[in-house]
Amino acid sequence: MTIEQKQAVYFQNVSKMYNTGTIALNHFDFPVEEGEFISFLGPSGCGKSTALRMVAGLGSPTTGDVTVFGNTPEDLIKNTNDIAFVFQDANLLPWRSVLDNVLLPLELRGGNKKEKKEAAVKVLEMVGLKDHLKSYPRQLSGGMRMRVSIARALAAKPKLLLMDEPFAALDEITRQTLQMELLDIWEKEKMTVLFVTHNVYEAVFLSSKIAVMSARPGRLSSVIDVNLPYPREPGMRTDPAFSKYVGIASASLENHEQRKETV
Amino acid sequence: MAMSEVEMTKQQTALAEAGKKKKPVASTFKEMYLGPIVAFVLFISLWQLIPVVLGLPHYILPKPTDVWEATVSDWALLAEAIRITIFESVIGFLLSAVIGIGVSVLLASSKILERSIYPYAIILQTIPVVAVAPIVVIWFGAGFNSIVVISFLIGFFPVISNTLMGLNSADKNMDELFTLYNASRWQRMWKLRIPAAMPYIMAGLKISCTLSIVGAIVGEYVAGIGGGNGGLGYAITVAAIQVKTSFLFSCGIAAALLGISFYLLISLFSKMMLGSWHESAMKSEK
Ligand SMILES: Nc1ncnc2c1ncn2[C@@H]1O[C@H](COP(=O)(O)OP(=O)(O)OP(=O)(O)O)[C@@H](O)[C@H]1O
Ligand SMILES: [Mg+2]
Repeated sequence: MTIEQKQAVYFQNVSKMYNTGTIALNHFDFPVEEGEFISFLGPSGCGKSTALRMVAGLGSPTTGDVTVFGNTPEDLIKNTNDIAFVFQDANLLPWRSVLDNVLLPLELRGGNKKEKKEAAVKVLEMVGLKDHLKSYPRQLSGGMRMRVSIARALAAKPKLLLMDEPFAALDEITRQTLQMELLDIWEKEKMTVLFVTHNVYEAVFLSSKIAVMSARPGRLSSVIDVNLPYPREPGMRTDPAFSKYVGIASASLENHEQRKETV
Repeated sequence: MAMSEVEMTKQQTALAEAGKKKKPVASTFKEMYLGPIVAFVLFISLWQLIPVVLGLPHYILPKPTDVWEATVSDWALLAEAIRITIFESVIGFLLSAVIGIGVSVLLASSKILERSIYPYAIILQTIPVVAVAPIVVIWFGAGFNSIVVISFLIGFFPVISNTLMGLNSADKNMDELFTLYNASRWQRMWKLRIPAAMPYIMAGLKISCTLSIVGAIVGEYVAGIGGGNGGLGYAITVAAIQVKTSFLFSCGIAAALLGISFYLLISLFSKMMLGSWHESAMKSEK
């Protein structure tokens, strides 16, 4: 067994140049162990989305390799429901009810109708939307829409959940509630989560490991192991240990900003 | 046509306003309908006065009362003409809707096809159908068939260009979502592209339904009646030769009313199709 087969995701010396000439990622090397909660933290434009989208097969590296559970993302997408993606905006189909939106991934794969519905109702229950099965997206608040989006991602029981700044557009209170819910689900479902954010507090609160990235060209600048116990409670946000990690992560971000200025 | 457009926008704003806020009936009536009614009465009175004041004979500018008399006395003729025009334009419209949407879906399901044919669809749209109508008559013979084909042709291009635009309007993120779930081409078409295109398709149908009436009338000018009974276009031609100006006005007004009713009917249909679920329904109705 080679090393990469044990990894949930393995970025091997990945570089990406868009045809506009922008180098979005430069020699990005990063293994993600199965079951981890990883955050990609970095300034705008450092290639976080680019990296995440590659894992979902929405774009391929210019050089280097991305493997997911030992396969190419394209193969996994073709044959399994192992990868799910949550976008920054909820991205729901406006003409479908909440339930039908969550059913979409299951529908596209075929299979038993009744089982699918049960699965969809179950995940909607999990995100607290059991009473809104028949509502339409436009009748929901931003936070509820994001919950539907998360439920849709979970419906097909993914082993790897990719989230690109899913809470960036939400208010602070909703964001913290959803962070707690996400952690609950992660611990229950034992998936691997790759979470993109540029919010230091969010990264520390959620992650078991933070990959700090720096911009132009996008590269990995440091990896921070967050040794705070799970389950994480809201009270933890005022804990000195929490502040320590926030300090480390912020310093790591700033270092690179400064280094760039002196170059 | 200008007249019917004014009518249309009036109706539309009325509907939009009524949807926005519920008010006591009396004040709504005052705000919404009083103005237009006063304007209508003023307009008719002016129209009645002008020929009298300027001493214009009725075959140059008939008074509203002349038009009314002509309508009543030739009612049988007019009703039959309207019936035939409705028949022709409904068939022309249905053909342009069905064929327009069908062809668009086929075109859109292949990028290569779409890229190579769409530009021509745009160019064809700019051809005034009136200019090619005589060719249609040569191919399909005088009368009903040619009239329907002309009505179809005029309504077809708005449907096809709107539908194609709509089929390509789906959000990029949603498209990627479908990629992520390994959706087949047809799943993408049925579950994403066609629903996303609905508001565009409905907008296309609204344009095409009024055009199909224009098509039927123009068709009758060009294609005659081929032995059958004539519609409004034929009635207009005959009345023009006989200088029955009052009856010409009746025909014109009838055509305008027909256009408005047809448009309102399709608007209602569009609301039913979109209203309950589509955000853009609200946007495009305003
Ligand atoms: N499709 C594209 N074509 C060309 N350049 C692109 C494309 N997508 C991203 N880029 C460029 O690549 C770089 C990295 O973009 P990316 O979206 O990965 O950044 P990000 O870290 O997600 O930023 P943000 O936090 O603002 O979302 C940016 O400079 C961006 O302009
Ligand atoms: Mg991004």
